[in-house]
Amino acid sequence: MHAQLFESLSHALTQVQGYIYPNELELQWSILIVLYPYITGLVAGAFILASLERVFNVKAVKPTYRLALLTALAFLIVAPLPLNLHLGHPERAFQILFTPNPTSAMAMFGFVYLWYLMAVLLMEVWLDYRKEIVGWSKTEPWAPKRLFYKIVTFGVDNVSPRSLEIDDKLGKALTVIGLPSAVLLHGYVGFIFGSIKANPWWSTPLMPIIFLFSAMASGIAGVLLLYMILSAYRNKDTDMKCLDTIGKFFLTALVLAFSLEMLETIQQIYEAEEHFDILSLLVQGKLYFSVFFVQLLMGSLIPMFLLGLIQLTDLPEKVRKAFYAASATFCLIGIFAMRWNVVIGGQFFSKSLRGFTTYKLELVGREGLLSAVVVMILPFVILAALIYLLPPWENAEHAPPAKSSET
Amino acid sequence: MRGLQRRQFLKISTAALFGSLMTKLAAPLAWAEDFYREPPWKRKKPYWGFAVDIDKCIGCAKCVEACKIENNVPKEPFYFRTWVERYVLRKNGAVEVVCPNGGMDGYPDIEDEGGVAKAFFVPKLCNGCEHSPCVQVCPVGATYKTEDGVVLIDKDYCIGCRYCIQACPYGTRYFNPVTQTADKCSMCYHRITKGLATACVEVCPTGARIFGDLSDPNSALTKFREDNKTESLKVHMGTEPKLVYKGFDKEIR
Amino acid sequence: MKDYRHLIHVAATFVLVFVLFLTARSILKPSSYGKIGRYRAASVDEIKALPIKFAGRTAQKECAACHEKEYKDKASGRHKGLNCETCHGPAAAHVAGPASVKPPKPAEAEIVKFCLRCHAPSMAKPRKFPQVDPLKHNVGTACTACHTPHSPRL
Repeated sequence: MHAQLFESLSHALTQVQGYIYPNELELQWSILIVLYPYITGLVAGAFILASLERVFNVKAVKPTYRLALLTALAFLIVAPLPLNLHLGHPERAFQILFTPNPTSAMAMFGFVYLWYLMAVLLMEVWLDYRKEIVGWSKTEPWAPKRLFYKIVTFGVDNVSPRSLEIDDKLGKALTVIGLPSAVLLHGYVGFIFGSIKANPWWSTPLMPIIFLFSAMASGIAGVLLLYMILSAYRNKDTDMKCLDTIGKFFLTALVLAFSLEMLETIQQIYEAEEHFDILSLLVQGKLYFSVFFVQLLMGSLIPMFLLGLIQLTDLPEKVRKAFYAASATFCLIGIFAMRWNVVIGGQFFSKSLRGFTTYKLELVGREGLLSAVVVMILPFVILAALIYLLPPWENAEHAPPAKSSET
Repeated sequence: MRGLQRRQFLKISTAALFGSLMTKLAAPLAWAEDFYREPPWKRKKPYWGFAVDIDKCIGCAKCVEACKIENNVPKEPFYFRTWVERYVLRKNGAVEVVCPNGGMDGYPDIEDEGGVAKAFFVPKLCNGCEHSPCVQVCPVGATYKTEDGVVLIDKDYCIGCRYCIQACPYGTRYFNPVTQTADKCSMCYHRITKGLATACVEVCPTGARIFGDLSDPNSALTKFREDNKTESLKVHMGTEPKLVYKGFDKEIR
Repeated sequence: MKDYRHLIHVAATFVLVFVLFLTARSILKPSSYGKIGRYRAASVDEIKALPIKFAGRTAQKECAACHEKEYKDKASGRHKGLNCETCHGPAAAHVAGPASVKPPKPAEAEIVKFCLRCHAPSMAKPRKFPQVDPLKHNVGTACTACHTPHSPRL
């Protein structure tokens, strides 16, 4: 096991440029740690899209409400996986819950995650589906599936208008609580990086906000793309008013994320602190392609251009759909590149500010490419299962329950 | 009757509030005295520190070797609790820093010696930060500062998340492939608590490394700190290292 | 009330999960955690008990007990600031049981390389430190042919 590691490190030693501290040869946070902010970003973004309808009464995005919730849930379930795969001692992972160090942002993970999963997302999905779940627990022909629904009813089959009204009110309250919770879920990841004064590529107060807004862009893009793909798969028309409204929010999130990143960049260039030289070498060297072509051009500029065109001109439906699909795809790739540039990029240069190390992404192994691919495919498998169990299409028209008393 | 009492109450409480506000505003004048912060070794005995005399180091790297033996550090050239860098500062302003296998493999010949302004060796090790960022970020409390000032790692509790390795500004931490936990210089805690010196100090042939008790006014370390002007690494980060260097150059990182 | 029943069932589940969490925590949390600070107090003693490999400078008197001649030579020579272990390696096991393990003498055949580890010339070394150019000084001869290692000054 070690032999392969030592061999790859010996090779990496020959690829070092300039001077690095001897311990900096091996990158500590691999592609799995790139995936984690990407996944929680999708969760936060999808949830915020869902909350647009619930809290801000943007009725137009209703058709994607349930899909957004299920997408958030599917990705949230997978979120701890890359972290645990990366740990040196995953069997000790529970220690984060039992003896969290209150000064560590990472210690928050266990609690923020569990809170968001149980108190916000699961509750909200359950409250929204409860009426149907009770129905399916009685009408579902396949016994194991019926048992699942029965369990999920928590043994109560009361779907009186009053109980549904209570559900609706509670669901709304949870969405309101859920918004800062989603912000916290992904914002703390940004803080984990932003609070490391030892690393000048990471250390900035803007990091949580940059992470959050790019997360929102990626989450909205993800749900948008899923909605279009699944509609095509089901041979159903997409609701253009829904798409157009999502498109507006998508553009807003992109513009904000881009502006924040540019603000950070301009400030760094202007202040030109001690670390500026090595960072500009980093961006012009090892990160050149992934920053300028993937993150900026593909991930930000092209989508903003396409979505901006839609806002400024009158384009036919087919063109708009093509632009939405393209923008969403490019954005998703670009935001992944952004996470890569932050996590991996921040470990390329030495803290001596005098050199660079390398990162070889292995194919196999706990932190290899195959692991990463499995981690990214898993949410879609779970989403498929969730869509099977809790179809988000049936109740696109979420009719408000009749008032119990009309006076 | 009640109205009068209420008015009196309001008057008194407003006066009290105003008074305390005034004292708070006047307080900055008093705060200036508080800028002197008592170092922890005034109150805790013993309190371990370290010093390096750059002008004495000959780059033999026996310290690196002894440390690896004493502390079971993996022999491969990717894991070091301590290492010795060589700096060559040229007259044209170029700076060359090398550290082959921590210094244990010797150093490459210096080319164009006529163009060299100055050259020296800099031993590196855990800086023993008072405001240690590695302790701050550990999610489970597996790395901590002892009551006598040494930052240690509990290898039976570390979950191997590597956050501390990212947080150390000095690159002194590594991920031990055998224990699958973070690892770093422990100031040979198992030795110093028995009256011995750290392994690196024991074998240094020139006395370039100095270890001792900061709370002892007669220790070699205290005398060294009082007799020499010293500097620490990356002071601007506010980590307050207990490791000080004599003979520091502005190019040292 | 019956319209809230489903919520009460969920709340009860949450409470149950929380109780299970607290139970697991009381079982799995190490007992010494938190006794001194936010860490496992037992770890301090575990680290203190780690094995010692180098006997140290203070143990040199013990070396003198058997190796009196070398000790006296060193004490009066230019190497008096060196610890025996600097050249001979870790000796704690030898002090504890002299017959069980013997710290090696640096190999005669490699003695030039061994001495040059400290004494090879380099611009980076302190100027006053004795440095020997191996290409000029008695090329091909072992250092120990002329210099006794414990008191090397001729």
